[in-house]
Amino acid sequence: MTQYAALIYSADVDWTLPEYADVTKEYAAFAEAAGAVIRGGAALYPTSTATSVRVEGKGGKILTTDGPYAETKEALTGFYLLECADLDEAVRVAATIPGAWDGVVEVRPVIEFPM
Amino acid sequence: MSAATGAGASSGAGATDPEDAARALADLVRTAGRDVLATLARWTGNLALAEDAVQDAGLRALQTWPRDGIPDNPVAWLRTTARRRAVDLIRREAARGAKEALATGPVFAADLPEDEPDPDVVDDDLLRLVFTCCHPSLARETRVALALRTLCGLSVEEVARALLVSEATMAKRLTRARQKIRLAGIPYRVPSADDLPERWDTVLATTYLLFNEGYAATAGLELTRPELVANALRLSRLLHRLRPQDAGATGLLALILLQDSRRAARTDAQGAAVLLADQDRTLWDARAVAEAVPLVGEGLRLSPGHPDPYVVQAAIAACHALAPTWQETDWSAIESWYEVLLRVDSGPVVRLNHAVAVAEARGPAAGLALVDAVVGLQDYPLWHATRAALLRRLDRPAEAAAAEARARALPLNAVQRDLLER
Repeated sequence: MTQYAALIYSADVDWTLPEYADVTKEYAAFAEAAGAVIRGGAALYPTSTATSVRVEGKGGKILTTDGPYAETKEALTGFYLLECADLDEAVRVAATIPGAWDGVVEVRPVIEFPM
Repeated sequence: MSAATGAGASSGAGATDPEDAARALADLVRTAGRDVLATLARWTGNLALAEDAVQDAGLRALQTWPRDGIPDNPVAWLRTTARRRAVDLIRREAARGAKEALATGPVFAADLPEDEPDPDVVDDDLLRLVFTCCHPSLARETRVALALRTLCGLSVEEVARALLVSEATMAKRLTRARQKIRLAGIPYRVPSADDLPERWDTVLATTYLLFNEGYAATAGLELTRPELVANALRLSRLLHRLRPQDAGATGLLALILLQDSRRAARTDAQGAAVLLADQDRTLWDARAVAEAVPLVGEGLRLSPGHPDPYVVQAAIAACHALAPTWQETDWSAIESWYEVLLRVDSGPVVRLNHAVAVAEARGPAAGLALVDAVVGLQDYPLWHATRAALLRRLDRPAEAAAAEARARALPLNAVQRDLLER
């Protein structure tokens, strides 16, 4: 089994607003249907709440900028951690995440560092 | 007949001069190596490791066989040698410790089976390997490169040369591909029944792309790159052998055979392109045509009512192949086949070819109207060249000259350009 991060890139919106209740319901339905393979995940507040942190060399001065690392039309708005047999299964599951039709879901294998 | 004897039979026979013998030996090692690779990939679960092991075994075969003679069962010899090498590699990897192991991927069981797999099992392994190399999560050009490297058994240097990139670039691309296959978990198996039709389409499309790149080279000085064509044909034979009841695989093999049957006639003594209308048909490969025509019938039988697009294209190619001259070609049959093809593929190039058939069947005016109705080919030199030819036949020389100029201004390979300039 491999763990995959399913990174959801979609419109940069505030999921807590009532107008997104239907979409959140869709996500809840997805989470229930895919419960067997979901190992974690989160929805994120919009990028207007983001702070990008950079340090001038290890131990150096902390520089912060208001906003996301990259300004793009579609933003990282949430992610799931999925445990699947292979990429085919991961793609099949990712294709049922509402973000896949509202935006794009990027599937990336997760490194499992040996103990 | 087993894969092993099949590979053996195709080698050596009639090889008299040393160069022929060397080529036959290389072919044998390549074909046998592919079968061994498929099995070893399943045994080890690691394509990169399997490829390294098979490459080593192949090199050893090329060194020792000319001296000691070709073994009775070359596949078994290669499998034993590659297996031993794989076990070495796995042990060495294990000894390197966890940190390096992370970089190279998981290490699999070091005790690999010793028994010789059934030919059926080898075919199943090959089919799995085909699906891995043509996985839709790999970029198109990566699939083509992997097909050449892994399914056709070319060396990295040969793949680089065939696809006109530097060896370093190709090595990097292939390494990245293998890394993705392993780390992202691209499976080594035949897809589920649900996914199979679409995934098989990707496999056929990759093979056809490989053929097309060789048949109508878009880059380089030559019109065709015969080594790409030969490898596409070999791969297409393999696909047909693995799934003989598949209309697409049958049609694709027929199509490649038929198009390639014209190879000797497509260029003149100076290497310049010769149009189909002007080709010396006695140079067409009658044996390839004879093999392909029954495949077209078979493909139609396998996809009744809704013919597979490759079968339809092969049917069109067969109409040309069976026509004694350009004038005696059954253009109305070709026009009908294009109408069938348009139902499944209404892309601009198909529409352009349909228009050419209509021009021959019903005159240049009817053809030109259809050519002009095709949108989206303004950057395609053959669209302009076709317009130019039809305009000239309609005695509209000024417009014809303008269309010719447009055609010439667009990028082409050198041989096609030469054709337009005449």
